[in-house]
Amino acid sequence: MQYSYTTPRRKSPITPELQLLFIFFGITIFMLLATYAFLLFKDYQFTQNTLEIEQERYDLNISLHEMDDAIVFIQKQSQLSESVYTKNTVLKDSIANMFDLVPSEITLSEASLLENGLVLKGITPNKDVYNFMLQAPLRSIFHRSYSSFYPLSNGWLRFVSTNYIDKEELDTVEEEVDEDEN
Amino acid sequence: MLGGFFENLYLKVFVNIIVGNSKSTVYIELCKEERVLNSDQEVFATTTINAEMQEFIYSYINETPYYYISVLDTSETQGAVSSCEKSQLASFFEVASSKYICNDKKWTYYTSKTELALLKNSYAKVGVDFIFSPFILLSDFFKDKIAMHAAMFVLIQEDSLSLCVFDNSELLFAKHLSMENYSEGDILSMDEGDDIELDLTQDEELAEIEDLDEIESLDDFGDIEDLDSIDEIDEFSESKDLEEELSENSEESFPQQESEGFNEDYQRFLLIHGAISGFYKDKRYKSAFIETAYIADSVGVSGDLKRYLEEEMFLSTYIRHVDLTTELCEIAKREIG
Repeated sequence: MQYSYTTPRRKSPITPELQLLFIFFGITIFMLLATYAFLLFKDYQFTQNTLEIEQERYDLNISLHEMDDAIVFIQKQSQLSESVYTKNTVLKDSIANMFDLVPSEITLSEASLLENGLVLKGITPNKDVYNFMLQAPLRSIFHRSYSSFYPLSNGWLRFVSTNYIDKEELDTVEEEVDEDEN
Repeated sequence: MLGGFFENLYLKVFVNIIVGNSKSTVYIELCKEERVLNSDQEVFATTTINAEMQEFIYSYINETPYYYISVLDTSETQGAVSSCEKSQLASFFEVASSKYICNDKKWTYYTSKTELALLKNSYAKVGVDFIFSPFILLSDFFKDKIAMHAAMFVLIQEDSLSLCVFDNSELLFAKHLSMENYSEGDILSMDEGDDIELDLTQDEELAEIEDLDEIESLDDFGDIEDLDSIDEIDEFSESKDLEEELSENSEESFPQQESEGFNEDYQRFLLIHGAISGFYKDKRYKSAFIETAYIADSVGVSGDLKRYLEEEMFLSTYIRHVDLTTELCEIAKREIG
């Protein structure tokens, strides 16, 4: 029941001292939370950076391996090309030497290079010219040499010379050559 | 809920200010929940508020935000009427310019809004939470008697009287009487006024007086000697409140005014006499014969007042000492629940 002519003033538990205290603690807690949030963010950022760097390192490792493989492949290709080039040079020299071996009296009509041999077809005025001027050098180069002749109508002879190099013997010779080079 | 939690944490401080003639009594009570932890009282030589009083109040209210400052209404235009009907209130006071509260749906006490504003303004330095009417304090102080008796109840303060007439909880009449505007001239003029009024009534009835002889019933007055034999008359003379007399005797240690008390008590008696005369004559009030007077004495009246009332007005008078500050404090506590 109301007895008083007036209603009491509103009473608040928040006194000016408490207000000051709350403001002080409020600011302190806010600063602590802000610092905590900043540290959390920095920690997250650092973790993310670490993960990114890990991933980058992993990717770089992979690309490094790929590059190593590529280098090995290229080196092999280079070696192969060098060996092909060398072989071709050798072959070219051999062919040039071979054609140098053919005397002017003999005319070649066909030359076939085999993997381990050489087949020459041509015409010679006689067997002696062939035997002394072509057969002899061929025998010094190849291990086995077979010749067959067919007479022509003009008196000349058509010849077919088949020459082989035995691979085992060739390997032995190459090894000896390598050893000498070393 | 949070407010209630904080309210329980803090002390409650009740500051109660009673204004006297030239001084103010400040009673402070510190409570925790229902318990009274401490109390203090100081008297200051001011009727409003001075620096000492302000410092005294601040020394307690600074301890808690839950403090309540109560003052007793000192307005001269305050009063109480026996109805809560707004239409009836207008015949007793100016409703628009007054603040009024209906008590228990039985009677209304009121005061001037301007006086309330002035009172609030005079305590602006500390603020005021509650302004209580002396009538509510009086009815609360004598609640045990009001419910059971038809009597006059008077609250005596240093500079004023608050007078009520209750008949079994029903308010018949109430008046706030100030002693400041009172002088012996007023007493004389008041008495003269009464005489004139009486003469007027006598004049009006003079024309009818001859007819009175014709009334047969008047013959019964010849048997007036038989009145002594009526038992009810004996009961009337014994209609005393024994309980109140016992408590009155136990309160004799309360210091009574001796030197100035006589003049002031006579003034008080005249004020009461005038007010009761007005009550009997004013047709707005429901009339009732008053046999008993209960006086709540906050200043220490002399035995003269009791004697005047008993001898001049034939009232069985009981004086009970009241500590206004603690009573005010109790009402303030009840107000906040």
